[in-house]
Order: sequence, then C-alpha cells, then structure tokens
Amino acid sequence: MTDASTHSSRSVLGGHAPREQRQGSTLPFGDERHLRAHQWLVDEAYLLDEQAYTQWLELLTDDIHYLMPVRVTTAQATGFDTAPGAAHFDENKYSLARRVARFGTEHAWTEDPPSRLRHHITNVRTFATGDDDHLIVDSGVLLFRSRGDVREPSLVSAGREDLLRRESGGWRLARRTILVDESVIRMQNLAIFL
Amino acid sequence: MIDQAGVVGSVRRGMIPAHIYNDEQVFALEKERVFGRAWMFVAHESEIPEAGDYVVRRVLDDSFIVVRDEKGEIHAHFNMCLHRGMQVCRAEMGNASHFRCPYHGWSYRNDGRIVGLPFHRDAYGGEAGFQRKDRRLLPAPNIDSCNGMIFISLDDEPPSLRDYLGDFTFYLDYYTRQSPSGIELRGPQRWRVKANWKIGAENFAGDMYHTPQTHTSVVEIGLFREPKAEKRRDGATYWAGNGGGTTYKLPPGDLEERLRYVGYPDEMIARMSREWSAEQRAVVGRDGFMISAASVFPNLSFVHNWPRVEDSEDVVPFISVRQWQPISHDETEVLSWFAVDAEAPEEFKRLSYKAYLMCFGSTGMFEQDDVENWVSLTSTAAGSMARRLALNSRMGLLEDDTELVPALPSERFSGPGTARVGYSEHNQRELLRRWADHIEQPMPKAAGEWTEAER
Repeated sequence: MTDASTHSSRSVLGGHAPREQRQGSTLPFGDERHLRAHQWLVDEAYLLDEQAYTQWLELLTDDIHYLMPVRVTTAQATGFDTAPGAAHFDENKYSLARRVARFGTEHAWTEDPPSRLRHHITNVRTFATGDDDHLIVDSGVLLFRSRGDVREPSLVSAGREDLLRRESGGWRLARRTILVDESVIRMQNLAIFL
Repeated sequence: MIDQAGVVGSVRRGMIPAHIYNDEQVFALEKERVFGRAWMFVAHESEIPEAGDYVVRRVLDDSFIVVRDEKGEIHAHFNMCLHRGMQVCRAEMGNASHFRCPYHGWSYRNDGRIVGLPFHRDAYGGEAGFQRKDRRLLPAPNIDSCNGMIFISLDDEPPSLRDYLGDFTFYLDYYTRQSPSGIELRGPQRWRVKANWKIGAENFAGDMYHTPQTHTSVVEIGLFREPKAEKRRDGATYWAGNGGGTTYKLPPGDLEERLRYVGYPDEMIARMSREWSAEQRAVVGRDGFMISAASVFPNLSFVHNWPRVEDSEDVVPFISVRQWQPISHDETEVLSWFAVDAEAPEEFKRLSYKAYLMCFGSTGMFEQDDVENWVSLTSTAAGSMARRLALNSRMGLLEDDTELVPALPSERFSGPGTARVGYSEHNQRELLRRWADHIEQPMPKAAGEWTEAER
C-alpha cells in the first residue's frame, strides 16, 4: 500500500495538514495504544451511522485535513493511481463545519428522509509515530447506505489512514486519507462521511 | 412501440410525456439518433498536454483513446484491436508511445498506426498476407476542438463543430477563455446516479426556478454573501446556437467592478478585458449579467458561481465542466471537472478549487440535493401512470403561446441569441426541441456500416 500520508502532502488543499508519519511495524493487538485507537474508530463509526455530525465535528482537531482522492485506473508502471490535483473531499475544519451545518438545516433534501447508514470498520492496525501524542491507524471501511423503501442500496468500500492526536485528555482526528476502492463511485452523491 | 409522433408533438408544445425520462425504447432512439449524430465532448487539451498523454473516454458504449501523438496532434482512436477486438488500452489515463494489445501482442503507435504484428512473416506471409501500411486503430469519424475542448461526432457528415455550437461559442468563452491560454481541467470526479441523462442537461440549461427551493440550505449556512436564492428572478436566461444558460444580475458597476464583485483578482480581470470582445465585455459591464449554469445539446454542461470558502466576506468564483453520460434509460454517469484559467495565480486556483469542491461534484453541497430530485423523478417516470402524464414545461408562456416576458432588446443584452429576464422554461424547451428534431429524424445508413447483402 502506498503511504497514504503522501496523498495528504501532495493534495491541493493539504498545505496546513499535520505531517506525522508512522514508525516501525504494527503495534501488537494487545497494546494499550492499539486498543485505544481501535475503540476510537468504532465509537466514531456509531456517530457516523447515526449522523450525529455535531458530535463528530468535536472529535476533529482544528487543523484537520480530510482527504478522499479521485482514484484512477493506470498501468502498473505509471507510479500513480489517483487523479492529479483532484479529490472528492479535500477539506479543512471550516468546510467540514459548513457541510455539517447544512445537514443541520431543515432543507438538506438529500438526507431528508435520512439514509440508513452502517459503517463497517475492519482490518484495524495501529502504528506509533515520533511522539506519544500521535498514533497512525489504518482501517478498512465498508459503508452500506439505504434510501427509501425499495431503492437499490449502495456501497462504498475504502481504506483509510488516520492520524490521531491526544489533545487535552482526549484523542482527536488530525488527518484522514480515504482511498476509495472504485474509480467510478456507485452512489448518487457523497452526502456522507467515511 | 412508443407513439413517436405523439411524443415529439407534445414535447414541442412544452408538455413533456413523463415516461421519456425512463423508457428503454426512447433510450434506444436516443442512442441512434441523438448520440449517433451530435458533437460530444470527450476531453480538454489540457488533460493531455504532452506527447503520448492520453485519457480513455466513453461515448455511450464506445471506448475512445484520446491521445496526443509525437507531433502534438490529437486523435480519438476506437479502443479495439483490429485483430480480435480486445481493448488495447485498459487504463483511464497515462502516457504511452505505443498501445500493445495484451491478447496477441499487436501494437499501435500513439497516432493509431499499426507498428507491431508478432510473427508477421510466419503467420501472415508478411505484407502479402496482411498489409500493415496505412492500417490503424479505427478513428472516431470526426474530431474537432473549440477553446481546447475536444469533441467527437459519430455522424458521417456532421456540421462543423463551430457551426454546431453556433452562437453559443460567445458564452463558451466566459467559461473557457479568460486568457489566451484558456482553461485547465482537473478530474473528473465520476459517479453514477439512477437518473435519466436529460434531467441534468435541462436543469443546467435554464432551471433558475429550482434554486430558491432546492438550494435553500446552502444559503442558510452562509455560503453566499447575500441571500441569492431569491435573486435568480432578476437574472437573464439566454439561448444561442445549440446551447443556453442562466445568469445572475450583478449590482451596479462597470466590467472591472463587477468581475471584482464575484471575486476575480485584478490581474485576471485585465486578461479577460483584453481577451473578450466588446460585446462579451458589455454583457457583464454594461448589461450587468454574470454567467451561471449552461448546457450545450445534448449532454454537456457548465457552471460558474462564487461562494465563500473561508470565514470572511470574500467570495471566490469557480467553474465546472460536466457531462451527463448516459448508461441506460435510467442511469447516468456524471463526469465533473474543475476548470480554471491556466494563467490564474496559484493561490486563486487553490481557492477556486475549494469553492468547487464545496458546491459541486460528487460531494458538492448544491449537487447533493439536485441528484436526490433527479433520482426520484426518474424512478417515478417508470410506471404506467407516468404514461398518462405530460409534465408542464411551459413556464413563461400563456395558454395561447404568447410569451409572458418579451426577449431583451439589444440595448439591454449585448450577447447573441435570445435572452429574457425572469422565471421561465424557454431554455429547457429549446433543449428538448432539439431532442425532438433528432428523435423523429431516421438515420441514413452510415458509410462505414454494412448493408444486409454485405453481411
């Protein structure tokens, strides 16, 4: 797997993003740091399922970089598999907060009636970084989204690399890179978070 | 069978038989008669700047390699090996001097000419059995470009691209020629929606009426400097040549002040002033209209808007080019590009891209609500009741076809075509009228096609 953090540093709007990198190999699954990181992801997934986005926003650091590049099919030797300079999400706290605020209005029609969402989180592994207050967590996410009664449900599968930071006692998300597994998204819009 | 004459007649009256948004037979006719004729956008030259750069783009069921050859000339090769029909390029983009078929190893230069044929002498007896000279990947029947936008047509004798676009090129310049260097495109984001392709094209052509309702939420969250949803009534819609679009009315000012008002920096304004004709400058500077959304028949659209991208009073304009690529009667692949003037300052490009991501595309806060509507419409159009309903698309016309608002005189609108202020569906009718003209016109036998006797 490409080091996902390089996507953040190469992205158009990631200039502000924290640059911490993973060090060493995967932490043992019994390691306290892994257990904490894993629980953080699971708790977050429940918030995203419930669309409790105001609470979710509080879990993000002020310098968050939230990135989902556009994936493209390229030949093996090409050396890239994301569209240069193009993303689905390339967000900071301000733009994420606007998105959350929109869902809070009574007129975000695409989610009224709301979708039924289930974020399935799997293959979680944790890495140390240069300091104790930052952890890197990899995970797979499969989002199931159902709208209305009889419409075909839709799925998005992606790998994520997260940078978690310990701030004033709690852990917050400081950087997320979402590598979606499809070039063409099979969902009517991305009025969801991964 | 569909009642073709009935459908076409009803469409021309502005009463749209609802089933045309979800009907396999209608789609079969569209494939043959609309997409078999029209000029269709496939790529922008900025996507393939260097020799060997290519992108692979589909036009309905056909895959084309749009590539710049070693001499800088641009081609659209049908992506099918001459031997056994394998796709010779299975990537979406890249750079290649040659395309080699993975099946038996036939290879082609990036200009399409066949160059390698394994065991040519042993298997074919050399040139005596298979003459390589002048054999090439099948080219798109017609390829042409305008402002760097590359189009192909599958028709045998289409009008020239310039003639096809007609006076819409006047408006195309606002989106794609803000400096001598033109635009650069990034993307596209691609995603599939269970909606008929015509709905997006109609919406972008002229539906200023939906903004106050569909897009209430983006106004409520302060994405705009002023509550602009209600201001759409003051804008003009225009139709010219084979396309049309909507505009916003800007506050008083001259060209510079008005371009500054929507967020363009002075150096870009200076280039636009030099690049645009006196009439193009006057639409903004004298008449006070700023382009917003637009569509070119059949399925290419544009959008220009100017939201806030930070917690400040400043707004930043962005441009998106998008295509509503039909997959079937009830599914469309949206290809949405971010476009920006190539000479724009880097900081402007960055902020303009942010404005785009917040508003349009797969995650855009405008687009999210649009698609929800279009999916719902398409699904409702599938049933037998939809066959009894003609949707009223007559806004701006009285019962006796008198126009509610007269076209703007040239003293109030300097651009070509017909423009009107206020809510109306003139543009959607213009678009569907062209659709009707194509649908009722049978295709002559294409020159490359075989007759029954030849089979």
